[in-house]
Amino acid sequence: MSAVASSARATPAIGWRDVALAVAPLVLALVVAAIVLAVAGHNPLEVYWLLLKESFGGVKRIAATVSASTPLILTGLATAVAFRSGVFNVGVEGCVLVGGLAAAFVGFTYVGLPATLLLPLALGAAALAGTLWMLVPAVLKARLDVDEVVTTLMLNFIAVSLTAWLVNGPLLAPGSANSATPMVVEAARLPRLMPPSTLNAGFLIAIALLGLYWLWGRGTALGLETRLAGLNPRFAIASGINVPMLIIKMMLLSGAIGGLAGGIQALGTVNRFVVGFSPGYGFTGIAVALLGRGSAIGILLAALLFGALATSGATIQLFSDVPIEIVNILQGTVMIFAVARFGWLLKNRQGGK
Amino acid sequence: MIDNIIHAAFVMTTPILLAALGGLVNRVAGLVNIGLDSMMLAGALVGLMIASQTGSWPAALVAAALVGGLLGLLMSLTVTRLQANEIIVGLGFNIAVAGLVRFFLKSWYGTSGTLSLPDVAMLPRIHIPVVADIPVLGAIFSDHDPLTWAAWLLVPATAWFLARTRLGLRLRAAGAAPQATRALGLNPLNLRDASTVFAGMMSGLAGAYLCIGVVGIFNEGITAGRGFLALAAFYFGRNRPWPTAIGALLFGLFDAIQIRLQGRGLPAELVQTLPYVMVIVILTLVAITIKRARNKGA
Repeated sequence: MSAVASSARATPAIGWRDVALAVAPLVLALVVAAIVLAVAGHNPLEVYWLLLKESFGGVKRIAATVSASTPLILTGLATAVAFRSGVFNVGVEGCVLVGGLAAAFVGFTYVGLPATLLLPLALGAAALAGTLWMLVPAVLKARLDVDEVVTTLMLNFIAVSLTAWLVNGPLLAPGSANSATPMVVEAARLPRLMPPSTLNAGFLIAIALLGLYWLWGRGTALGLETRLAGLNPRFAIASGINVPMLIIKMMLLSGAIGGLAGGIQALGTVNRFVVGFSPGYGFTGIAVALLGRGSAIGILLAALLFGALATSGATIQLFSDVPIEIVNILQGTVMIFAVARFGWLLKNRQGGK
Repeated sequence: MIDNIIHAAFVMTTPILLAALGGLVNRVAGLVNIGLDSMMLAGALVGLMIASQTGSWPAALVAAALVGGLLGLLMSLTVTRLQANEIIVGLGFNIAVAGLVRFFLKSWYGTSGTLSLPDVAMLPRIHIPVVADIPVLGAIFSDHDPLTWAAWLLVPATAWFLARTRLGLRLRAAGAAPQATRALGLNPLNLRDASTVFAGMMSGLAGAYLCIGVVGIFNEGITAGRGFLALAAFYFGRNRPWPTAIGALLFGLFDAIQIRLQGRGLPAELVQTLPYVMVIVILTLVAITIKRARNKGA
């Protein structure tokens, strides 16, 4: 666990070696996906060029990419916050779901309120839902040392079923057969930045939080304590840091950001909550945090990458016969390679000299 | 009605039990396998393809076990040799293999999501003449396929293997005391790899069971998270084969009840959450017990 936590921390000085190490997982994943594409009879370079063009070629495409990366910045941030304190939270996916539903609920229930009240209220509800969702695993981890990987993983499945039950029963839109809540009112929707693109003010919130995260890791006592606890819990305890309390705080913060990711998605893009609301934003967030090595700029770049893959994957399926699943293959292999260590290979080669 | 539910419960238990026993041995040897679901999915697809191609169910099972074992080996090598975090690698395998399977379905068969093939050899059902007519007992023992029998026979076999055999002891040592294993001149990493291959093979069989034992077609959602239910089962059973089997049976029963509840206005979704809630409750109770014992000792 600590191996990942330490690899997810911010690197103080950036040299060419760090850049090479940071890009290596992506390159390896591109190689694996290229083999899959070639076996299926596609030209990998052509496909990659098409993906690049479809995600960054033109203002509209860039807007779509940035819009798709918004929830990923937030889930990546939520994961990184937990990883940094040495907590292995894989439950951000669940937070996204409960947060999305909470925001949608406020958005279609308190319809009389003006936007200046309703929007913060709905976003607050999303963050609160995510926070509460993480309360049980946080307390169990900090007080009883119950494995947070298992509890947060289990909570993801509980969140899927629980939200599905709520939108199929109590919160189902009247007269609607598909499992969805009513649409949120206009006042609860995040303003679109570049209509007709779905890019919305949520992106600005995500960037602001990313900036706060950068400052927090740099200059605050809590940031330092968190890093110490993540790197070496025993040293942190010896230095007088209340590690259990810190774990609870960071897991709740992680949950709040995860919930906010869902809320922003509900109020900015989908405008309601539906079953299948999240195509795995929380899990992609883990890949984002790992690939970004826990640094603010790294998370932003990794989120843009996966956002680009998500948008361009959908369009290349229309224009060519390359299945969109190539995106999932890339995402999964990036995760695997991001935690693999190739150090011993290099060491062996040096030893042979 | 009761007999139907009991029979269905055993049918739904088999895939969970197979994968759970594999995951249990894997965890005892020191690797928590989050990727069981991906191996199950690959086993399901390959099992169906071979069952259709050869018309032989044993061949399909062998192929499913092989592909599961191969994925297990790949996963294990990433964890043991490239020192990758097992949780992330497991999640990565689930995402990548699910993508690969759907990619393959689209580019090979031109179908998205569901694959149905002609002449699929299904698993035979073993009818036990007299017992079949006895209520309850008949539902428990009769008209099950060989894989279900194998799964249940593997429960005492695993218990015996881990407790009484040399290899079982070594596997346990590889998980609990890798240094001691090294001191004996054994490589704990090799033992761990072997246990992951076993877990992969068992999950492959579990997947094949879903395809050629239950439904007869493949669907991308066929595992429905059963690899994670298997994980829940051996966490529930705390690595002991019999309690793990009880957990798997309980989850199988929930699954059977949940299928009955569908379309009756009863919240089937809430029944689906029960296994996961139970795991959290059990882990909490165990942790409280440990803490109490420690406080008493101090």
